[in-house]
Amino acid sequence: MTLPLVQINNLSLRYGDFVALDDVSIDFMPGTCVVICGPSGSGKSSLLRCVNRLENFDKGDVIFDGQSLKAAQNISKIRSNIGMVFQHFELYPHLSVMNNITLAPRYVNGVNRDEAEAKAHKLLERVGILDQAKKYPNELSGGQQQRAAIARALALEPKLMLFDEPTSALDPEMISEVLQVMRDLARNGMTMLVVTHEMGFARDVADEVVFMDKGKVIERNESGGFFDNPQSDRAKEFIDRVLQKI
Amino acid sequence: MNYEFDWPLLLEEPNWGWVIEGVANTIQLSLMAWGFALVLGVLIGAIRMSKSRLLRFIGTTYVEIFRNIPLLVQLFLWFFVFPLLLPDDLMRAWNRLDGVPFFTALIGLSLFTAARIAEQIRSGISSIPKGQFLAAYSTGLTEVQTFRHVIIPYAFRVMIPAIASEFLTIFKNSALTLTIGVAEVTGAAKTIEAYTFRGIEAYSAASLTYMLTTASVVIFMGWLEHALRIPGLIGKR
Ligand SMILES: Nc1ncnc2c1ncn2[C@@H]1O[C@H](COP(=O)(O)OP(=O)(O)O)[C@@H](O)[C@H]1O
Ligand SMILES: [Mg+2]
Repeated sequence: MTLPLVQINNLSLRYGDFVALDDVSIDFMPGTCVVICGPSGSGKSSLLRCVNRLENFDKGDVIFDGQSLKAAQNISKIRSNIGMVFQHFELYPHLSVMNNITLAPRYVNGVNRDEAEAKAHKLLERVGILDQAKKYPNELSGGQQQRAAIARALALEPKLMLFDEPTSALDPEMISEVLQVMRDLARNGMTMLVVTHEMGFARDVADEVVFMDKGKVIERNESGGFFDNPQSDRAKEFIDRVLQKI
Repeated sequence: MNYEFDWPLLLEEPNWGWVIEGVANTIQLSLMAWGFALVLGVLIGAIRMSKSRLLRFIGTTYVEIFRNIPLLVQLFLWFFVFPLLLPDDLMRAWNRLDGVPFFTALIGLSLFTAARIAEQIRSGISSIPKGQFLAAYSTGLTEVQTFRHVIIPYAFRVMIPAIASEFLTIFKNSALTLTIGVAEVTGAAKTIEAYTFRGIEAYSAASLTYMLTTASVVIFMGWLEHALRIPGLIGKR
């Protein structure tokens, strides 16, 4: 029997008095791609940030690959096994694309420069921007920046990838190039948690869809079932609204 | 105006010696004070962002005190009051030091400027988007590594103009130290005027010195800013 890669147990998170996550319990199996959706402010980003403990949660725990994050002494080491991709890319503007990718392998894993660059070379090829290696982030298009950010997250060979609205800040013509890279990752068996409003991606690529509202997980279903046969009224409403927009 | 200029007078001894001494003192004082202020300013800027309330309180108190008392008053306090507060032995040793005015000026200028730099460090670092920290932490960098490789290099580039302008401010503020007897450029001009009654020549030469030095600093900093610029960043974010 395979164990879940991520187990979230009774997780609660507050910002001051505001409850952002309210007693969330959910598991994710290795090798699956799960889309997390829900209205803005429902706690999707907060949930992702708890999975690598970028937020200090108040109650409950996250078990990643058998280790409790709450108890973890060496959280940096655990984070290096979890890649994260952000809406606004967050590449380091003062470093070239190459150095953006090699920074963590060199200083977190102690890989030497040549080896780190050889690895980065392969990753850049994989995301299709090898020719941009020497450029700086702000000299790239949004789509290229996001692909570089994905390469940076992959450089530590993570077991899990977190995507927080990776295409929301992109011009429409660049969305598909990023989704294509994500699709390839999923096909190759990467475990992925993806917050996105791209319902096409959810339907075609994701194995499962999780629907959140007001800090709670309302519904979880395999992706076909979620769209064709949503269980809750809130999920129905949400699907109608996003599908209308497209 | 029937004033006959006598520029060559400045090149005669002992006037020329005073000019050279003045320029040397001004540059030495400004550079040293700037160096100390930078180190101290970074430290205080850092403790103002620390997690400890006490450290933050100390940092904030420092900045508010040194930034809000006029520099001239601070110089007088260091020169006239500070030695009185020292234990007897120390006070005697202090008074026997060569160049007490210079050291006093150095302390006064450094501590005053450190408060201003600390403030700039803080605003420089808080201008870095929060996502940069998250991105760095998410790849497993520790807090120290994140500051060392991501936040400080980024903030430093953003802050070059401010740090350069602090140097120019110190340089001009150093003229105030003539009031406690430092023979810097303005002090030298005053001395020459006293001996020769040629105030116009003396103060013109002093102004020219300030202008030339300022211009070279501006040119150097422009070059530095260009050399360290973040490609493609201008006008974005
Ligand atoms: N750092 C923060 N401080 C205070 N409130 C926050 C913070 N981050 C998020 N929130 C609030 O928590 C709620 C959930 O936010 P978030 O997880 O970003 O939602 P989503 O990603 O689903 O849009 C929102 O109402 C948001 O305003
Ligand atoms: Mg969000």
